[in-house]
Amino acid sequence: MDREILRRLEKLNQLQLTEQEKEAFLAFYAKQENEMDVLNSINTDETERMVHVMPILTVVREDKVIKKYSREDLQKGAPETTEGYWQVPRLVE
Amino acid sequence: MATKYETVIGLEVHIELATESKIFCSCSAKFGGEQNDHVCPACCGMPGMLPVVNKHVVDLGMTAGMMLNCDINRVTTFDKKSYYYPDLPGSYQTTQWFSPVAVNGTVRINTSKGEKDIRIKQIHMEEDAGKLVHDDWTNTTFVDFNRTSVPLIEIVSQPDLSSAEEVVAYLERLRSLLRFAKVSECRMEQGSMRCDVNLSVRPEGSNVLGVRTEMKNMNSISAIERAIEYETARHIDAIENGTEELVQETRRWDDIKGKSFAMRNKETAGDYRYFPDPNVMPVCIDDEWFDGIKASLPEFPEVKKDKYITELGLGEYDADLLTESRALCDVFEEAYAECGMAKEAANWIISNCMKVLNRKQLTADMLDINGKALGQLIKLVADGKVGNANARKILDEMFENDIEPEKYAEENGFIVSNDTSKIQDVINAVVAADQKSVADFKSGKEKALMALFGKCMKELKGNCDPQILREMLLKTIQ
Ligand SMILES: [Zn+2]
Repeated sequence: MDREILRRLEKLNQLQLTEQEKEAFLAFYAKQENEMDVLNSINTDETERMVHVMPILTVVREDKVIKKYSREDLQKGAPETTEGYWQVPRLVE
Repeated sequence: MATKYETVIGLEVHIELATESKIFCSCSAKFGGEQNDHVCPACCGMPGMLPVVNKHVVDLGMTAGMMLNCDINRVTTFDKKSYYYPDLPGSYQTTQWFSPVAVNGTVRINTSKGEKDIRIKQIHMEEDAGKLVHDDWTNTTFVDFNRTSVPLIEIVSQPDLSSAEEVVAYLERLRSLLRFAKVSECRMEQGSMRCDVNLSVRPEGSNVLGVRTEMKNMNSISAIERAIEYETARHIDAIENGTEELVQETRRWDDIKGKSFAMRNKETAGDYRYFPDPNVMPVCIDDEWFDGIKASLPEFPEVKKDKYITELGLGEYDADLLTESRALCDVFEEAYAECGMAKEAANWIISNCMKVLNRKQLTADMLDINGKALGQLIKLVADGKVGNANARKILDEMFENDIEPEKYAEENGFIVSNDTSKIQDVINAVVAADQKSVADFKSGKEKALMALFGKCMKELKGNCDPQILREMLLKTIQ
């Protein structure tokens, strides 16, 4: 992890980090990277891909419509709404 | 000599699945509704909500895979595709990347150059995104999550297509097969079928691929044709004349301007950082589930067509019309099974049912009448129990309610009466009241007979064998 990768991740996630936060992230990832190196050094050529950490499969549900929530309830915690829309900062240029 | 170029095209086709509910929650997947009416904490991204897979989405994903000759992955998994945009509230889309439901298929197309197999790389299941409305006045964006998590499949082809004609043939074939298997209505104009075009150009015979661009936002098959022709010309122009430098990028097609435009944000496009979604466990398709779907697959349209012609004796034209839509085939086969008269059943559907559909502004796919009842109605007409005009009234009623034709005919006085004394009474009354027509007929005016016949038929409310009426009428006035 270097400053260039961090800048790119910042952009991908639409974030703006302060200088202090950047230092903290770089320090954090430097530690993770050592651990990644250990993992990468293990030979996994013969190992089957692990699909999930839990050895269980999903349960599926029947295709049935259930309406349990009202728009008003769902939007109670929203910072801003207009005529039933969530209203967010404009993202398109 | 001028260099000849060939176009290399691969398609990504998104198809909205015909389910009642969304892919990971029980909200309605139906089109329309007021903004944010088909929404719950799961599909509007509230923290702590867990997705639960809709079984029917997997049914349809498998069905699509089998219709396109794919191998089905018996353990299929979901992955997160990261992208930060408010049309998906979790800042990722749940899709399939590492183990999609179906892989390695083929679709056979027919063009002026003959038959060709287009290879399918994979079909994956995923959720759709919501709708954004950008508001200039407040410089904010309004978000509607009704479409968020509506189930889609994406069908990814190999770059085996080489012209707009082949692309059109491929899309029409996909649409026909998937409609037949009831996977989707595949309506481009309503957005239930969407297509991204990956295109590059290279000198003919070269085996090095040119720079590839991806085009989005074509809303009809003809727009796709135009976009491919424009983009091919743009690439060749850039290669030959150096008018611009071709770069790998995503472009938006503007059908009104007839041009494609580079989409901005090149730096962040395509960097999706896929990783397995820990919230959705793997879906395991056991033998029972797999075999059940396999057994439910419909015959291919051309197989049905062939059967209709060779086994049931239909003409090619009728067979073509019927096999354009699975709904027509279903009603036809049920009606035929009931009445045993293939040509009559085909006629009733192609002429009478289509007329009603047109009047109601419905498409053939929306034909939803009881085929068995139609077969009974056809028998009533063939047996001379119900006249043609009244039979059409009964058909109208069949579009509204699930009726038993014979019972309905009896209740509404539509049963042809063979009570000759009653017919004679009517004829006598009509003849007595219209001596002029009788005289006209006797002086050689054939038309006058039709006038009398019509009046009698009207008086009898259509419930009379026309042959009997005609004979009795002639006997009376001659
Ligand atoms: Zn929901």
